[in-house]
Amino acid sequence: MSRSSSHSVLPGFGLSLGYTLVYLSLLVLIPLAGLLAKSASLTLADIWAIATGPRALASFRVTFGASFIAACLNGFFGLIVAWVLVRYDFWGKRFIDALVDLPFALPTAVAGITLATLYAETGVIGEWFAKAGIKIAYTPLGIVVALTFIGLPFVVRTLQPVLEDIEPEVEEAAATLGASRWQTFRRVLFPAVFPALLTGFTLAFSRAIGEYGSVIFIAGNMPLISEITPLLIISKLEQYDFVGATALASVMLVISFVMLLAINLLQWWASNRHRSVPVKDAAALGGAQ
Amino acid sequence: MSIDIRNISKRFGNFVALDNINLDIPTGELVALLGPSGCGKTTLLRIIAGMESADEGQVLFGGAEATHLHARERQVGFVFQHYALFRHMSVFENVAFGLRVKPRKERPSESEIRKRVMELLSLVQLDWLADRYPSQLSGGQRQRIALARALAVEPKVLLLDEPFGALDTKVRKELRRWLRRLHDEMHISSVFVTHDQEEALEVADRVVVMNKGRIEQVGSPDQVYSNPATPFVYQFLGNVNVFHSRLQGNLWAEVARREDGAGGEGGGAGDSLAFVRPHDIDILREPVPDALGAEVRYVHPIGPVVRVELAHQSELVEVELTRERQEELQLAQGQSVWLKPRQVRVFPAGTVAGEALQDFSI
Repeated sequence: MSRSSSHSVLPGFGLSLGYTLVYLSLLVLIPLAGLLAKSASLTLADIWAIATGPRALASFRVTFGASFIAACLNGFFGLIVAWVLVRYDFWGKRFIDALVDLPFALPTAVAGITLATLYAETGVIGEWFAKAGIKIAYTPLGIVVALTFIGLPFVVRTLQPVLEDIEPEVEEAAATLGASRWQTFRRVLFPAVFPALLTGFTLAFSRAIGEYGSVIFIAGNMPLISEITPLLIISKLEQYDFVGATALASVMLVISFVMLLAINLLQWWASNRHRSVPVKDAAALGGAQ
Repeated sequence: MSIDIRNISKRFGNFVALDNINLDIPTGELVALLGPSGCGKTTLLRIIAGMESADEGQVLFGGAEATHLHARERQVGFVFQHYALFRHMSVFENVAFGLRVKPRKERPSESEIRKRVMELLSLVQLDWLADRYPSQLSGGQRQRIALARALAVEPKVLLLDEPFGALDTKVRKELRRWLRRLHDEMHISSVFVTHDQEEALEVADRVVVMNKGRIEQVGSPDQVYSNPATPFVYQFLGNVNVFHSRLQGNLWAEVARREDGAGGEGGGAGDSLAFVRPHDIDILREPVPDALGAEVRYVHPIGPVVRVELAHQSELVEVELTRERQEELQLAQGQSVWLKPRQVRVFPAGTVAGEALQDFSI
């Protein structure tokens, strides 16, 4: 039953794990360790001072805040898009399905420039919002738009296979038991897709935190208002303030890591709570099978 | 509650799934819809449940019009072949679902829900599994939970779509006896769909044999087996030998084995087909009048019976003997023997569709 027994049915565990570790070391661990080593030249007090500077704090707020809002928007609308693509057959479905992947492929700078043009006060979409007194481009709202754009495919592509997996019988069963459409969605469908939705949300969120290319074209990049942390790091580098840039990067790394860890734990809980066997029952279950 | 099905028709594109079906199911009966796959039995069940709408015709529940009622308003319990349990809910919550989604005014209190669910779980003898999740149960246990869930809303009609189809033989046999007992205790009308004739004959009060969107015969299990109304029913319920015959009286004075696959061809007015069950043929070592000469090809002892394959001219005939009879006869390959039918059923050749014969011939 247990997969961690010494004689695994699948051969090559040592080789593939070794490969995984080397690969991850070369690409992720060593660069990140270098970053931390560089910041080790600073004392914690120095790092604290740099990270809590007004400009740095404002940039953290913008980066994490806008990323969070964008990921939430993607979670909501991505669910609808995935639902439509899985559940209904309509003319042009394949085309729309392909369209979803576009933000993956498009150079982010192109996306940023396009969005900035469209959502500017003189742009095709922006002028309508301008009439209502809402400025999108060159404000934090513009950052949210750009981050929503680049995060969309993550949610849709994570949800699609899970939605396809839900048998129509489950919904029919709920209906014969007297559940309304809304009750069926809230009690049956949503809990089934929730772990996947959380995964998609996490992916979109992490992607948004690290995004640089598209944001700088639409953000306006005003310090304290619409400046994201990656941009602040770049501007520090341009002033040869390597230590300051490293300190900011390390702080961002730690915050991102803690947040992703928390979301991962939540996800693990969400997907495992209906599989876990209470310890006292484990033996009985083993016997019953 | 009684169910009346009146002139129901349903097509999917050009395919006629149901062709003018009329059926009355009286209160308290356990009815089996039996037929080969694609005969429309599941479609009919889904129309009764309100998951599919008929193109024409009416469904009445207890005499009241129910044709256009939504599934959730019909008060039917439905059990699916593949259980359709809610995977993210515990067994307890699965069974409680129907009670929890009731409108606030009708919803029982938490303690009542608890009591009712535990009652149902002990009814299906699985109260010790209340905290488990469906993925931790065996197929038989899942299906019993699905049944408890369907019964929780106190349905007036219980509908089961191939409920034991995904289970192995032993569990299936246990569960169908158990379903029979449960049905007798609950006093509701039940309809179940199956393609397994043994299941239908064992469990049901009445069997509805369907083929190609039509009802071939409705009757008690004994009626449909021993007195099939049509050649299709004869062939679908158990094995049968088909003889293309020119009959004199009721015995096969001059019986010729059906020469070609397509029965009913090249027939003169007097042509007919004779159907004989393998266990209705006796094998004799000595010739007697009216018997048919044949040669033993194979002798297979299968459990309690011995199946003998014989060749009459170029055609195969299947006969089932008891073990005792085989002890007496001592049949062996290559022997010449004589066949004498105990019971023959004759249908005019014209009434037998060649296609149906080919599809379901043994």
